[in-house]
Amino acid sequence: MGIGDIWNLIAMQPMINTLIVLTNYLFNNFGLAIIALTIIINGLMLYLTLKQIYASKAMQTLQPKLMELQKKYAKDKQRLAQEQMRLYKESGVSPAGCLLPLVVQMPIWIALYQSIMRVMAVIPENLLGLSKYLYSWPVVYSTLPLNNEFLWLNLAVGDTFLALLVGGTMWVQQKMVMTPAADPRQQTQSNMMLWMMPIMFAFFTLSFPSGLALFWVTSNVIRIGIQYFVTGWGGLVKSTPKKQVVRDRKYKQRIAQVEQAPSGGADIVVPSSTQEEGLDYEDSGSKRQDRGGGYPKSPRAIRRQPRRGGGHRRKRG
Amino acid sequence: MGIRDNAVLAGKVCLLAIFVLVGLTVLGCAGIRSAPEGGSGGTIADGTLFLCPALKQSGGFGCSAPATEGKLLAVNTSDGSRLWEVSLETAKPASGGFGCAPAATPVAVYGMPAVAEELVYVAGYNGKIYALSSTSGALRWVYPREGNLGPIISGVVAALGKVYFGCSDGKVYALDAATGDKQWEFATGDKIWSTPAIDGDTLYIGSFDKKLYALSATDGSKKWEFEAEGAIASTPLVYNNMVYIGSFDRHLYAVGASDGKVRWQFLAEKWFWGRPVAYNNTIYAGCFDRRVYALDAQNGGKLAEFDLGSPVYSWPVLVDGKVIIASEEGKVYALDASNNQPGLLADVEEAIYAPLCASDGVVYIYSQGKNLHALNVASGAKLWSLTTK
Repeated sequence: MGIGDIWNLIAMQPMINTLIVLTNYLFNNFGLAIIALTIIINGLMLYLTLKQIYASKAMQTLQPKLMELQKKYAKDKQRLAQEQMRLYKESGVSPAGCLLPLVVQMPIWIALYQSIMRVMAVIPENLLGLSKYLYSWPVVYSTLPLNNEFLWLNLAVGDTFLALLVGGTMWVQQKMVMTPAADPRQQTQSNMMLWMMPIMFAFFTLSFPSGLALFWVTSNVIRIGIQYFVTGWGGLVKSTPKKQVVRDRKYKQRIAQVEQAPSGGADIVVPSSTQEEGLDYEDSGSKRQDRGGGYPKSPRAIRRQPRRGGGHRRKRG
Repeated sequence: MGIRDNAVLAGKVCLLAIFVLVGLTVLGCAGIRSAPEGGSGGTIADGTLFLCPALKQSGGFGCSAPATEGKLLAVNTSDGSRLWEVSLETAKPASGGFGCAPAATPVAVYGMPAVAEELVYVAGYNGKIYALSSTSGALRWVYPREGNLGPIISGVVAALGKVYFGCSDGKVYALDAATGDKQWEFATGDKIWSTPAIDGDTLYIGSFDKKLYALSATDGSKKWEFEAEGAIASTPLVYNNMVYIGSFDRHLYAVGASDGKVRWQFLAEKWFWGRPVAYNNTIYAGCFDRRVYALDAQNGGKLAEFDLGSPVYSWPVLVDGKVIIASEEGKVYALDASNNQPGLLADVEEAIYAPLCASDGVVYIYSQGKNLHALNVASGAKLWSLTTK
């Protein structure tokens, strides 16, 4: 059994058959089935998604400190790397924490994407190929071939409005995640990425079946919802500069403390500021045991932080 | 920002673009086509085989559009030489907004051409029917003259002075064979991919609305309809006052030709796509479950089954008491109808989707490798091959 067969067995077949069965139970509406499966998959991966968001958020809170270190050790790259690693360790934040859940989710997204493309089977060649993936459930066979009409859309061909929607939702999601960078160059690059990615995706969407665009839009909307639940509107709402300045001053103080440490190393001791940052350290500094990287134990603390520190979430009433 | 920073930024953007492209195409749609390729089976008349080759796929990221061309090829069956070939009209795309014109609809052809009265008829995926001279390939008429119907997957049947075909717009059309004028149309509830079958004055055709229709070939009025449990894309076989047809629900149905009542149904593991053949009161049907079933034509009892090792997409043909059938992976078998014993005739080592055709003890096989092979059924010898690339 080759890797392709294993991929088909564990990823493609379950997803394709689920899509077809969902279509059957959702009034033979393939568009609704795509939305439903996207929601289900997002629900199953919610834990990983939250982990990734919390890890990203934790990384963002370290940015000022990292910036200071970069300035301080601009001419000593090796020392800079050491200090950065030490900072990550002390803060209990792992850079891999942002990436790992994303990597785990990637195959699932690819399988969902491929399944949608296969199930639409608008031409005979694809319908012939689809037969290899089907379980022997009667409901699967009585549902095929699927009807590609959904609202005003033919899910098998591209749609301009949906392409714009893909770009728009992607921009909103990225904007929520984005935080202002102190370095102007980094800020410029972030802004460029903020626009480039949605524009590129919108452009590609035009040449892909709109069934796929429906999947992207649904995914983006769900991610926006999750992101809002965790961090509020984030970068969509401007943060208060005053609080940012106060916070930066405290980071500078901490860095200064590190510099003055007799050992010569960058043993960052943050007795009170960690709480302020929302990171649930029970111990501090060198007394705290290494937890082996990862992210804060209690992500709720991070979620609350924008309200206290930056006021990102809009007050109601 | 300095020049170096700009260069770094440009590099990052390029890298991102490449990453997205590779992610979307190589990982995403490998092996999944969104553009029709076509490739009809052949039709033989007076020593000439008419064939519409599969389209060339142009390059791209795995989801490429095909080259917008399509042609009808006339081949001398005795030596495989090309008699003539003509390009089918390419659809002219309307200009789109923002200077972006939509891609032209390629003239892929899935259904077998039909030949009658010096004309050969071809149904294009671009939603047009072409009538060309069978001797020179000169275009005689096109239907519709302006615009297009929906994509046509169905083959064309020429009989009773008319040309019949089904369309993805859900309608069955009858045109005057000489002029291309529309005689009648009949609307079903969904797309039609099935090629019609004519028996006497009755036309039988299946639809995605799960129904098999019996229509008057003269005026298109409905005689009866039979509803299966799944959509019908296969082509019916009429034999001994019965209509045999496969459905997506994995059944092969036997329906009374006069009343539309089901006589028996046979359940396989996957669905039946091609038209079965009948010989000596036995129905031979190839199935996607890799098997060929030999069934009693009267009661549907299974007489024999053969595992060919890969799905059977193409239609079998009957040659000198032998059922010739091809599997997807390119193996061609001859089943001796007298004792239902199979034997490997040849291995063309190319995928076979198109219906087989035969004449004078020779079977003609068009492969997805875009080659036409002629095999002697008695000896299994390959007589000639013609590449249509």
